Amino acid sequence: MSARPPLLTLSHISHHFGAAPVLDDVSLAVRAGEVHALLGENGAGKTTLMRIATGAIAARDGSVAREAPVAMVHQHFTSIPAFTVAENLALAAGWPHGGPRGRDRAAELIARIGLPLDPTARVDGLSVQLRQRLEIAQALATSARVLLLDEPTAVLAPREVAELLSLVRRLAAEGAAIVLISHKLAEVLEVADTVTVLRAGRVTLHGPMAGQTAASLSEAMIGGAMPPREVTLPAPGGGEPRVRLGPPLVADAPLVLHSGDVVGIAAIEGNGQRDLLRAIAGHRALAGVEVEGTTGLVPEDRGLEGLIGGFTLTENLLLAEVRDGPAWLGWGALEERTATLLTRWDVRGGTPRSAARALSGGNQQKFILGRTLGQAPDVVVAEDPTRGLDVAATAEVHARLRTAAAEGACVVVHASDLDEVRSLATRLLVMHEGVVRELPRDTPRASVGDAMLGLPA
Amino acid sequence: MSDDAILIGFGAATVRVATPLLLAALGETVSERGGVLNLGIEGAMLGGALGAAVGAAQGSAVVGLALAVAAGLVAALLLAAVSVWGRADQIIAGTAVTLAAVGVTGLVAQRTFGSAGAGLELATLQPVEVPLLGAIPVVGPVLFRQSLLTYLGYLLIPLTWWLLYRTRFGLELRASGEAPTSARAAGVAVRWRRTAGALLGGALAGLGGASLVLAQVGTFTEKMTAGRGFIAIAIVVLGRWHPGGVALAALLFGAATALQYLVQASGLGGVPWQLLLALPYLLALVALASAVGRARAPAGLARDDQEES
Repeated sequence: MSARPPLLTLSHISHHFGAAPVLDDVSLAVRAGEVHALLGENGAGKTTLMRIATGAIAARDGSVAREAPVAMVHQHFTSIPAFTVAENLALAAGWPHGGPRGRDRAAELIARIGLPLDPTARVDGLSVQLRQRLEIAQALATSARVLLLDEPTAVLAPREVAELLSLVRRLAAEGAAIVLISHKLAEVLEVADTVTVLRAGRVTLHGPMAGQTAASLSEAMIGGAMPPREVTLPAPGGGEPRVRLGPPLVADAPLVLHSGDVVGIAAIEGNGQRDLLRAIAGHRALAGVEVEGTTGLVPEDRGLEGLIGGFTLTENLLLAEVRDGPAWLGWGALEERTATLLTRWDVRGGTPRSAARALSGGNQQKFILGRTLGQAPDVVVAEDPTRGLDVAATAEVHARLRTAAAEGACVVVHASDLDEVRSLATRLLVMHEGVVRELPRDTPRASVGDAMLGLPA
Repeated sequence: MSDDAILIGFGAATVRVATPLLLAALGETVSERGGVLNLGIEGAMLGGALGAAVGAAQGSAVVGLALAVAAGLVAALLLAAVSVWGRADQIIAGTAVTLAAVGVTGLVAQRTFGSAGAGLELATLQPVEVPLLGAIPVVGPVLFRQSLLTYLGYLLIPLTWWLLYRTRFGLELRASGEAPTSARAAGVAVRWRRTAGALLGGALAGLGGASLVLAQVGTFTEKMTAGRGFIAIAIVVLGRWHPGGVALAALLFGAATALQYLVQASGLGGVPWQLLLALPYLLALVALASAVGRARAPAGLARDDQEES
């Protein structure tokens, strides 16, 4: 297999955005029939490298050789919801139209790659899994033979992941060259033939996957530089009372949350937890919520609420401190403050003058955390703070939140992942249909699940 | 006429004609940075022109300017009330404001000036020569022998930049125009910022209309702004929502209009004057077609502040 010539060769690629170096002398080759895993932490340069591979951006240094069309399958969907599968494929492939003939070609393509899609189905009626399949079909419709898959399993349930990985193997067996970007080491160990690991823009591991282990890959990704950070927290309920949840939020005695507590809220989507979190953060009123002291919110949607992508990091920092501060601005001092925040919170890939969107998701989140916690609020509210983050970034965010609690904040966290809530929190609240109750922290997982569904304990 | 005299005449006319456009476009830049696309700007200019004429007819240019600013503010306030607070579509609300202004100014002008309106002659703001600068060959007479309103325009270029990029208000205004949801999450009073931006824009549009009357034509006629407000919107796009770019774009449009004087002066009588009159509008189309692809409008422009972009 390795005798086949590479379909995509990246040689000695270097790139930088502004003053921040992103890639430093990176080389990578993918052959037909090969699944090549590209690993790295958020901000390591994976996405930039792939954009250079497709030609979306030109590298400052180095060369790209494409022996076949290259297509990228993004994490976010590019298909048009109101169009049918056939129309979307026609659009992607540049076929004349999506009428009966387009439908036939779409059906043919779908059958050839074995996707369970109905060409006449409207895309907005498809499941997330099928929409993702459609993205892959769209890439193949352009007759691409090199596919770059950017974290394709992030949106999928475990069984769907297995199906996707077998599709990836089948496409490779049919002669495609595939680059798979993923955070999930178990997946890439299972499916990839070769691997390249990036750390801070440099290649730290390159070679066949055989012989690698999750530990060796992880070591290459984060350099073994991350000591497990143990943060000692005070016993729950020992600090100052900060938040009081009374009726109608609770059925019986009011719940009091104290400084030093890390309060995890477990709830199934739509049970009122969002309103509760917003009310604790002071962004809306809700009967039964009383808060004492200053508050800070780490919002759920980084792109929509956390940061303004087109603004610089300095401007974003400043916006969060809208209520105080002078009417006009001394930019030198502000940029220094931003630089301090970037250093203290280990935000990589940007300078105070970089646009916020230039940062990777994990670094954006670290920036938001730094911005919020930097003001030392008495109450910190975090909505799903590790969504979309890799292992190292998740551990970092957890450690930061626990540190904030140890330093006297009352931290209230909701995460969609129950295991995350359980591992992070010192106190566990469950919310069902707008009513909150506290469970002992060591309640078995299944019982917590029952409580989230409103079943009697 | 010597070549120099023609050049100076052309240059001075360019700056004079560009002044109303510059004032209105700088105002519109502020408004659009806050997310309010003010199609009522044409109406605000028309109201400003009428206000200036009414004031000047009483013998006071200062009263005229004050009335012009007030008229521009009223037009912008209407738009802000309906579209920012009432959440109506900005395009439709702005068009309505302009159409209403055409009707109202016509009515008021008729009542105020009566049938003599056609022959109305108002004292204009005379050009003032700036000491020293006005003596520079060519540049002096072109840039520094203009009315006070032109100098106000010069000052407003850096002032607008400073307001947008160096003040907290500017930051909050731009955030309200770029990402209203993020801005609100950060505690910015998005609607108030948008309202303030629109009002600033309206006031400057009113001044723009005033400069048309007081520094250019010296009379008021119905619909006399003749699309200058819309040209100002084109100027904002061409100038990429940046005060410096907007100033250059305003000059370009001024030059296109002044070209007809040059053609008349140089005796190229063969060119139909209607074509020359149409030149700025054609230029607007060409400029927009070539500029729009590269420029990026504020992401929240003309969108409701509750809309998730």
